[in-house]
Amino acid sequence: MVLFMLAVTIVLCGGILPLIFWRQFVLMRALGLAGIGAGCLVGLIDAGTKLYHQVSCSGAYSYLNTFSLAFRIDALSAFFLVAIFTVSMLAAIYSFHYMDDPGSALRTAANTFFFSLLIAAMSLVVAADNLITFMLAWEMMSLSSFFLVVHSYESAENRRAGYLYFVYSQAGAMFILAAFGVLYAHTGDFGFGGASGLPDAAKILVFVLAFVGFGSKAGVFPFHVWLPHAHPAAPSHISAVMSGVMIKCGIYGIVRIYALLDWPTPVFGTIVLIFGMVTGVLGVVYALGQHDLKRLLAYSSVENVGIILIGIGIGMLASAAGKPLMALLGFAGGLLHVLNHSLFKSLLFMGAGMVLHATGTRAIDQLGGLIKRMRVTGTTFLVGSLAISGLPPFNGFVSEFLIYMGSFKGVAVGKGTFALCLLAVVSLAIIGGLALALFTKVMGVVFQGEPRSPAATNAHEKGASMLAPMLALAAACAAIGLLPTFFATMALKATASLGLAPGPAELTSIFQLTANITRAAALFFAVLLLVLALRILFYRGKTVTRAGTWGCGFTQPTAKMQYTGSSYAASILSFFRPVAPLSEDHPPIQGRFAQKTSYRSHVHDLAELHTSNAIVRPVLALFDKLRWLQHGDIHLYIGYILLAIVVVLFFV
Amino acid sequence: MYDLLTSKTIGLPMSAVILFILALLLAPMYAGLIIKIKAFCFGGRKGSPLLIHYYTLFKLLKKGSVYSNSTTLIFKLGPMVGLATAAVALMFLPIGGQPALFGFSGDIILVLYLLGLGRFFTIAAAMDTASPFEGMGAAREAYFPILCEATVFMVLILFYFLSGELRLEAYFAGNQPFGLWQKAGAPLLFVVIALFFVLLTENARVPVDDPTTHLELTMIHEVMVLDHSGPDFAFIELGSFFKLFFYSALTARMICPFEPGHPALEAGLFFLATGLVYAAVGVTESVMARYRMDKVPQFVLTSFALAFFATIITLEFLK
Repeated sequence: MVLFMLAVTIVLCGGILPLIFWRQFVLMRALGLAGIGAGCLVGLIDAGTKLYHQVSCSGAYSYLNTFSLAFRIDALSAFFLVAIFTVSMLAAIYSFHYMDDPGSALRTAANTFFFSLLIAAMSLVVAADNLITFMLAWEMMSLSSFFLVVHSYESAENRRAGYLYFVYSQAGAMFILAAFGVLYAHTGDFGFGGASGLPDAAKILVFVLAFVGFGSKAGVFPFHVWLPHAHPAAPSHISAVMSGVMIKCGIYGIVRIYALLDWPTPVFGTIVLIFGMVTGVLGVVYALGQHDLKRLLAYSSVENVGIILIGIGIGMLASAAGKPLMALLGFAGGLLHVLNHSLFKSLLFMGAGMVLHATGTRAIDQLGGLIKRMRVTGTTFLVGSLAISGLPPFNGFVSEFLIYMGSFKGVAVGKGTFALCLLAVVSLAIIGGLALALFTKVMGVVFQGEPRSPAATNAHEKGASMLAPMLALAAACAAIGLLPTFFATMALKATASLGLAPGPAELTSIFQLTANITRAAALFFAVLLLVLALRILFYRGKTVTRAGTWGCGFTQPTAKMQYTGSSYAASILSFFRPVAPLSEDHPPIQGRFAQKTSYRSHVHDLAELHTSNAIVRPVLALFDKLRWLQHGDIHLYIGYILLAIVVVLFFV
Repeated sequence: MYDLLTSKTIGLPMSAVILFILALLLAPMYAGLIIKIKAFCFGGRKGSPLLIHYYTLFKLLKKGSVYSNSTTLIFKLGPMVGLATAAVALMFLPIGGQPALFGFSGDIILVLYLLGLGRFFTIAAAMDTASPFEGMGAAREAYFPILCEATVFMVLILFYFLSGELRLEAYFAGNQPFGLWQKAGAPLLFVVIALFFVLLTENARVPVDDPTTHLELTMIHEVMVLDHSGPDFAFIELGSFFKLFFYSALTARMICPFEPGHPALEAGLFFLATGLVYAAVGVTESVMARYRMDKVPQFVLTSFALAFFATIITLEFLK
């Protein structure tokens, strides 16, 4: 516990010192990097050893002599801590060259401060061991990330994103608070311990309330509306942390509540699985329709949260059905995907940040050909794209493979489970195909072909501190893909907190799966090397020339003629039109001497559309009618407070 | 079989190796069979020789290449990854009822995703050229296989339900537990048709794509490889022959799961049945027109519906 608290303290120091030294721009950034980096490293080592040796520790501190702040790190917490500290450390390194505008030194210092606060809050969330501590850390996390989202508050769009995020995170927190309220009402204790003794109906209520609250943080459809707005608004290293690990705190919450309630019922699994499937498919469909690189990545996070939930849902269903191997595959696959997604999504956001830094635009259709001038960014982005599409031999495949195996196992279990598992397999297949389409679009339009704007033509990557984390993350994606056994062990150890108690037979059978992935990857590379050797052989002494791209007889192509991201996705989107309404603005070409025309398309998010029509508008209308209550007279406000106290005294 | 699990060689590895090499060697000939059928049986021509693809491959391998100025290393990686993934897929394929070279629980998922990796690089190589035609082909190549994958996984669910295993060998080698003439034969007829639809879509055949047309706006696969030349193009061609053989072999084993007892007989029967599937592709290409692009998804979804019905029927009647 001491090491963990030390890590959090060092991280916070790394946030506070820059506020003091903001006038020395380089010193300030160096202090921020040193503090956050060192703190995360300490935390990572501590969490890693705790996970490896399966030790849990706890500590309690008294706060205001009223509440006790209790912390406990078990395997599940340690697993999430590993992801949190790894990504945060790399993001801190990345930010050193990313936040390099001396004109906004104070703002950079504030950013570093809130960043450190966010890291500390996230790690406290997963370490919290009672209701009060959890809520405090949760609110700290929401508020610090809110200030990071409104970093560039000059733009109205960013302010709107911040507002939306604030509303959603507070509404979500209220749901969690309600769930905790129900818990407290039954146990009369702020501790988590008594949750398993709740009556069944209360357990369902607690789980549903908590699922809505945590789901809104994790980006579960339809509570994800804030996510595609807030993530692009924040600076890229913050987007990496928010998308990579902060939304995973929502996943942690769902898994933790499930573990605490300790009730093997198919109800929880069914809820989680159905939301997971909808979230996964719709997330990637909406991602395909995006024109903004970071917004696209944000929607892709929604998709991956869906995959994680499918895995966890399969695990819950299996626990209810008493199938330990299937449960293990589902939970371990889902948790491993948490780690995997935190790695490749932060890699992709850092790549997007580099593109934004070099070109000044996030519009996909303005870019092109960047891999030629930004080699490291382009190559690591390619690795990230392959990994997130779930293709072997990278890490995304490993977790999806485990989830597939779990889902297939469920096909043989009773009828209700059969239908759900069938849907899970099919949605995983569709998500995989769509993700491939999505990331070939990003790679092809942003990094390949010819530049579509002067900004893209003159783009150059710079900043060693920005390149190093991307290389490290790409290496991690490949390492997990090639040697999954070690990392699957981590995920398996994390499931220990769920009380699955797997026997040696189940563990062996999972390790055989991961070992086979390694062998198959080796086989693939051997064949690829053979093909490469053949290629070298066949090209020996041959004339190889360079010329323009074959334009089918057309000799004067321009970059504008290339397929754009919008046209690439158009046919897939038209297939999904019922769930992704598309509005197009395209003035027709008229007259004999045709004038210029334009095309603009927007894919509507069903959740956003319906939330604003069905909930936000009526609520706003209602509160508009209550405006007379608010008139700025302080005396009357004091009167309200008195009245409220009197009313409360009557009822309590 | 070389068991990846225990790293031990079991059974008769030689037969698997010979069959694998035979498959590699024969794949181009089978693709030539389609052309022959189209020309001889329907076109009223003698048609090109059965070995036309070997001549083409040798011609291509002897040539050099011209690369577009827009391309990068990814363009050269595309054909290599495409060929390597297709070859690895064949290594996991049990040929003629014999065990495959490699196999483990879940290998079919790995094979499907490896083919996905090949597709990723084919698409990426096409996008590398900055050509609008190739972009158009790439967009379609990304689109239709999504629906195919849904079908294939639906079929896998049925196979898992019937055999309790998730490995190609359990379905297609030694004492095949199910087939058109065995257990669950009737619903498996749906599966055969669904697999044939997937074969046509995944391998860019009529009625989804026309491998002979040169009108770029209507093509998918051919348009994506417009800029490849020389040995690179030979690799792409070879990779697509392997992939076609993979899907044809699966379909053939569903139609003809017989095991006469002697390995040579079994292999002969298998290669004959595979030839029949190729012939069916040739006949389909001769008697059907290519669908309009926006009708293709309906065609592919039909295969999903068939696989789905097959699963439901099997679930209800054959427990």
